[in-house]
Amino acid sequence: MFNTNFQILKVGMDVAMLRQSVHTQNIANAETMGYRRKYVVFEEMLKEASKLQLATTHEKHLPSVRSLPRPKIEVDKQAFYRNDLNGVDIDYEVTQMVANGLKYEVLARLMSKNIEYYNTVLRGV
Amino acid sequence: MNEFTIFNVSASGMTAQRFRLDIIASNIANSETTRTERGEPYRRRIPIFAEYFVDKNKTSAVKVVRIEEDPSPFRLVYDPSHPDAGEDGYVRFPNVNVLREMVDLISAQRAYEANVSAFNVTKSMINSALQIGRG
Repeated sequence: MFNTNFQILKVGMDVAMLRQSVHTQNIANAETMGYRRKYVVFEEMLKEASKLQLATTHEKHLPSVRSLPRPKIEVDKQAFYRNDLNGVDIDYEVTQMVANGLKYEVLARLMSKNIEYYNTVLRGV
Repeated sequence: MNEFTIFNVSASGMTAQRFRLDIIASNIANSETTRTERGEPYRRRIPIFAEYFVDKNKTSAVKVVRIEEDPSPFRLVYDPSHPDAGEDGYVRFPNVNVLREMVDLISAQRAYEANVSAFNVTKSMINSALQIGRG
């Protein structure tokens, strides 16, 4: 009954929450000796996944099932900002975290809107 | 990953920074202490932070593993009238540099604040998830 919007929004929110977790970990460990910054890879994988659509050349062909990729947490082994080999840039981390939090709120509001449309229909307009 | 473990991560960051603040306070308080129970001047203390995993998904929080002492030499001041002066007239003062401690103090405070704002962002995210479907 529900369209794919819900699924996509849910994945988007999950990724944003995962990203929040990673930002929090980086900030907590901002002064830990030898800690390497972590980050979440998702959008690039999504782009790759959406490239490989099977062509439907006949009206009876089933569309290829679009499976959304799972986000991955990666460790940045390159960047060092301090002498103790810590890779966390706290300004970058905090600004990205705030932006990510706002993105999550946008997705949550979109989710609400989608539910509202169904409510409108169910109430009989 | 559980959303609520994120709170624990922020809390661990705050605890670690507050602990660091305590150590800095004791360094500053003892910056002129020439006599300790061990019979030598006070040595500057440094907390050592380490990453530790709070769940099986390798969510890393932070904790203080131990407190180490700064091995750098004591500050020598020539003052033969001081009760703790050596035979050559020099007094050994702690290897605490108050200026440096103040810099560390501000850095610990800022790091604490960053953890607080991480906590607040997580809280508002969960709140906005709770608002879904309320119109």
